[in-house]
Amino acid sequence: MILSPAERSYLYDSLTQTTPIRPDSRSDHQFRPLEAKTSFLPASNGSARIRLMDGSECIVSVKSKVVLRSQENNLIECDIDVAGHRDDSNFVTNLSFNLTNLLSKNFPFQYLRLTSKYTFKLFIDCIVISHSSYPLSLLSLTCYLALKTTKLPLLVSDVNDEEIEEQPTFSDDWDNAQLLSSMIKDESFSPPIFITLGVIGLNLIFDPTIEEEQVLENGLIISWHNNKVIAPISNMNLAANSNNANYKGLNNKIIIKGISMVNKYCGAVTHALDTLIEQDDGNDGAIF
Amino acid sequence: MIQDRKRLSSGLTVTSKVFVRSRNGGATKIVREHYLRNDIPCYSKLCNKCQLDLKPDSHGQLPQFILSEEPQKLGKGQRHYIVLDTNIILHAIDLLENNECFFDVVIPQTVLDEVKNRSFPIYQRIRSLVKSEEKRFVVFHNEFCESTYVNREKNESINDRNDRAIRKFSSWFKEHLNKDNSNIPISIVLICNDRDNRDKAKKEGIDARGLAEYIDALPNADDLRDLVPNEQESFAGAETINETSFPEYYSTSRIMGGVKNGTLYQGMLNISTYNFLEGSVQVPAFKKPLLILGTKHLNRAFNGDSVIVELLPKDKWREPSTTIIEESNIGVNDNADDEDDENDVENTGIIPDKERQLLAQEAMKVTSVSNEDDKSKRLQPTAKVVGIMRRSWRYYVGQIAPSSVSNDHDTGNVSKNCFVILMDKVLPKIRIRTRKAKELLGQRIVIAVDSWPSTSKYPQGHFVRCLGEIESAEAETEALLLEHDVEYRPFSKNVLDCLPKEGANWTVPQNLDNGDEQLAKRKDLRDKLVCSIDPPNCVDIDDALHAQQLPNGNYEVGVHIADVTHFVRANTALDNEGAARGTSVYLVDKRIDMLPMLLGTNLCSLKPYVDRYAFSVIWELDEDANIVNVNYMKSIIKSREAFSYEQAQLRIDDKSQNDDLTKSMRILLKLSKKLKQKRLDAGALNLASPEVKVHMDSETSDPGEVEIKKLLETNSLVEEFMLFANISVARKIFDAYPQTAMLRRHAPPPATNFETLNEMLRVRKSGMSISLESSKSLADSLDRCVDPKDPYFNTLLRILSTRCMMAAEYFPSGSYGYPEFRHYGLAVDIYTHFTSPIRRYCDVVAHRQLAGAIAYENLDLSHRDKNKMELIVKNINKRHRNAQFAGRASIEYYVGQVMRNNESTQEGYVIKCFNNGIVVLVPKFGVEGLIKLDMLGDADSAEYNEDKFELTFADFSGKKRCVAVFDKVTVNIKSIKDEITGKRKAQLILQ
Repeated sequence: MILSPAERSYLYDSLTQTTPIRPDSRSDHQFRPLEAKTSFLPASNGSARIRLMDGSECIVSVKSKVVLRSQENNLIECDIDVAGHRDDSNFVTNLSFNLTNLLSKNFPFQYLRLTSKYTFKLFIDCIVISHSSYPLSLLSLTCYLALKTTKLPLLVSDVNDEEIEEQPTFSDDWDNAQLLSSMIKDESFSPPIFITLGVIGLNLIFDPTIEEEQVLENGLIISWHNNKVIAPISNMNLAANSNNANYKGLNNKIIIKGISMVNKYCGAVTHALDTLIEQDDGNDGAIF
Repeated sequence: MIQDRKRLSSGLTVTSKVFVRSRNGGATKIVREHYLRNDIPCYSKLCNKCQLDLKPDSHGQLPQFILSEEPQKLGKGQRHYIVLDTNIILHAIDLLENNECFFDVVIPQTVLDEVKNRSFPIYQRIRSLVKSEEKRFVVFHNEFCESTYVNREKNESINDRNDRAIRKFSSWFKEHLNKDNSNIPISIVLICNDRDNRDKAKKEGIDARGLAEYIDALPNADDLRDLVPNEQESFAGAETINETSFPEYYSTSRIMGGVKNGTLYQGMLNISTYNFLEGSVQVPAFKKPLLILGTKHLNRAFNGDSVIVELLPKDKWREPSTTIIEESNIGVNDNADDEDDENDVENTGIIPDKERQLLAQEAMKVTSVSNEDDKSKRLQPTAKVVGIMRRSWRYYVGQIAPSSVSNDHDTGNVSKNCFVILMDKVLPKIRIRTRKAKELLGQRIVIAVDSWPSTSKYPQGHFVRCLGEIESAEAETEALLLEHDVEYRPFSKNVLDCLPKEGANWTVPQNLDNGDEQLAKRKDLRDKLVCSIDPPNCVDIDDALHAQQLPNGNYEVGVHIADVTHFVRANTALDNEGAARGTSVYLVDKRIDMLPMLLGTNLCSLKPYVDRYAFSVIWELDEDANIVNVNYMKSIIKSREAFSYEQAQLRIDDKSQNDDLTKSMRILLKLSKKLKQKRLDAGALNLASPEVKVHMDSETSDPGEVEIKKLLETNSLVEEFMLFANISVARKIFDAYPQTAMLRRHAPPPATNFETLNEMLRVRKSGMSISLESSKSLADSLDRCVDPKDPYFNTLLRILSTRCMMAAEYFPSGSYGYPEFRHYGLAVDIYTHFTSPIRRYCDVVAHRQLAGAIAYENLDLSHRDKNKMELIVKNINKRHRNAQFAGRASIEYYVGQVMRNNESTQEGYVIKCFNNGIVVLVPKFGVEGLIKLDMLGDADSAEYNEDKFELTFADFSGKKRCVAVFDKVTVNIKSIKDEITGKRKAQLILQ
């Protein structure tokens, strides 16, 4: 939906208030309400789906494969498919690069290790069925849920194959498969996520809608992992498809403000997602 | 993990099973949908409910109710049906097949699947039990039945879940039949040898019994009790078996990993016939086989098992032993002296794979060096068995060792342990438990092997049945058929049902234009002067010939083969039976047919004076027997005469006979000689085997005398044209089916096979050697090896060379490249078997493929699918080999019977030398026998010169004597019975 000049001006003015007034009456650090479901794809090791009120929908499936450590550089591979965009378009390759980069730099790979020679490799397949605003945040939240509910088959053969080679063998009972998050014992497993912030005037707004995106002066993408903001932090024009007349440079104070806001509120976001997983009845396939 | 999509109660149910499949090191989550139905009948004639709701199967046929209305009573109790658990089928299949017990049996699908996974042969036997319907066995598909399906519970092992499914089925079946249904009460007995499962079943109100307990409750329990197989627990209770401890086998994951990285090897274990403590495993990685020495390293493996082996460190490498060790010599007091039992400490340290790979390279080097005198180079890598992929266990024939049966008279009816010595002397003794040990002494018995725990020195088995007295012809014949895994039972009803309805009255239709499309494609060749030439009294005539001169001076020659595939249609029960048997087996006094008599000796047999269907190959040959043209056709022929080789020879030689038939035979003879010469020029081998023929007294069927087979020109006439036809057909079917054509190849012998023989020749017969560059040079070098003083020496050498050859094998053309199709012995580039479809299954396939190639009919899918062809080929190769062995064993037995009555002095040749004995071949009888040192003279004075293959010793008169390989010796030969194995052996005494 393209806004008329009058609408744009109205929206701009309300968002640049000292306390921004958002069209859907959210406060500046609030996400849009979402509906999520986990572990619903029977053939995947872990899966999640998030739907937003505006009909945006993203499905992520995590699958595992046993590989030789010596032959693999990346133990995580992301594949992203966005409805309406070519796979080789800038839009999709950017999303894919961002997500892969974030995960491969902040994932506890040592827990995927099976033996001295073998390890699991994770294949994360994401599909964005429909979206209105920039979908990176949606994608990374869905990935978060999918990874948190990923289960890996239980190894029953010997772990030490340094000296004498063993071919890994696994328990045939899927019920014995272990949650990735339970394999990580000494720290809590929390995959990294991306938070999208809109910059408008001196204000920052979490999770801008498509209408808000059109009047933003800039966009910030902040990574969050283990309860703190981490690199990379980047800025971009979130309204990728429309001509955004307001777009301008980024004030460095805004970046600091953004980091402190994310540090302050983002814990609640992951906490909400974790609660969601706990409350999910785990009944595979029941949404169909 | 299993979930229901819908409630079980709300109509059709789909559930899904989720499990992890780990294969080749990977782990995949697999989700399978599983549909349940509520209309599976219980197959009981007593049931009044299931009859009402019958649904036809995919062939439109309604299910048959099989379980009897009046099943057997248990003692004085109720009538009962039986439900079997997996362990019962696996261990007591013989008992299930017994005609005295086990009627009205239900096998839950869960059980059938488990049996299939554990042992395919047993699965097939249980299937045929179900199929035959005689004993009223049915399979109930409980996994697809709503009422009996169970979900796997969390943390429940798959075995526990299956046990629960079986229990659930039993209790459902009981409830189903007895609750306002059957007119009489019926009990369901679950037979299960797992105590835990039995206890659980009893708690759920199921009548669960162990096998022994069930048999005891039967009226005829006394006859059956001994047939109950041993359970491990019963052994442990009777006797503390802790005689020894074998190393445990490696885990599957370690085996898979090791095989993949080349530190473990898989191969077939082959125990030396001279030394039962020495085995060898041929693995592709090395040119020479790996040696496995001593019981500890053999680690419970049987001859023929598919084993996993690991190399031993280099200081344990050995030369192949030159000592003869037979189990009977040392097994008496159970103290087999293992070579390195005590100082075997290598298990304490772990040898890393890296080191093992270096060791493997070392072994590779050693095995590839050929024929060096340096002693260290003769070392062969040794290995130990660390796992068994597949057991070769089957039924074994043997007899109870008299020494293992105690002499106390008052033991009464208590079952006791005793040892069974098997006929096959490369196999260990088997421990069985029986009450009838004394009665069974001196009888040939059949036993089955159950297990070989790591704490027991001997494998454990159980008695199956008795064949009869040792040395009676019936018992020995049946024994050798069993030993060679030859199916000799009569053809079953559903096989015989596939024969033409007219039976023996079947004839070729009078009217050839009766609208039958295939008949119209047949060519009428009844005007050709066809005749057959076979051994005397041959009844299954599968080939016939004709020849005539054409106006252009060339010759028309036809080979006509019985059209078996007209009667044996693909994928019928008849075809499956033929495919399973693979070949007919010829024994001295008996023939075991591949196809029912009616076909073999009547309908297919190209008998003289009657019309028969045939598959004809017709060539136009020029004066030098070059092919001008060749045609293949299905035909109708009428053989003018059936000759024996001798009759044909006489007729050809008789100058006064000048009729057309004789003329055509002369043409055939002339051309066959040219064909033979061409073949020999190309390098075909003329090898020899000490083949003998036993003459039977026609009145008493007692073997009379032994004769070495004589060959006439007419033998080779038929042979040449059969080879010629086979080659032509091979080209045609390979052209039509490049991937799946049924062919036969003969690989050139690897040089290593001839190493010892050549070394013997070099040392003992200076200047002679066998060249291996090509079959031509091998044939020529064999021709050159003539000892002017001893005309038989050349034949001896041919016999020994034959033993160094590779065996010819069937294969689908897709498995090898064209250059490897070569038949080394015949020196042709491509070959198949086409000419004996009555007695070989390969020929049946070749017929179908040729019929497909000439567009007579469509080729069945199973002969166009490479995987299916591989299976067919594997089986017929095995059957072919077994049939040969069985035939030889039969001759050996009868030769023994002949010799029993005539002790004689014969010429013999030394063919092998050991440090404690020699092996002598007696050409007259075609037997070879071992003469041990203590039979030769003073054992202490003996000296064995390994390099010169000679054994020097002082004989009983104190004279020094020297015997070497190839020496001609005079031996006194008589037949003696070995009291331990009950086998008759030729005993040779050096004169």
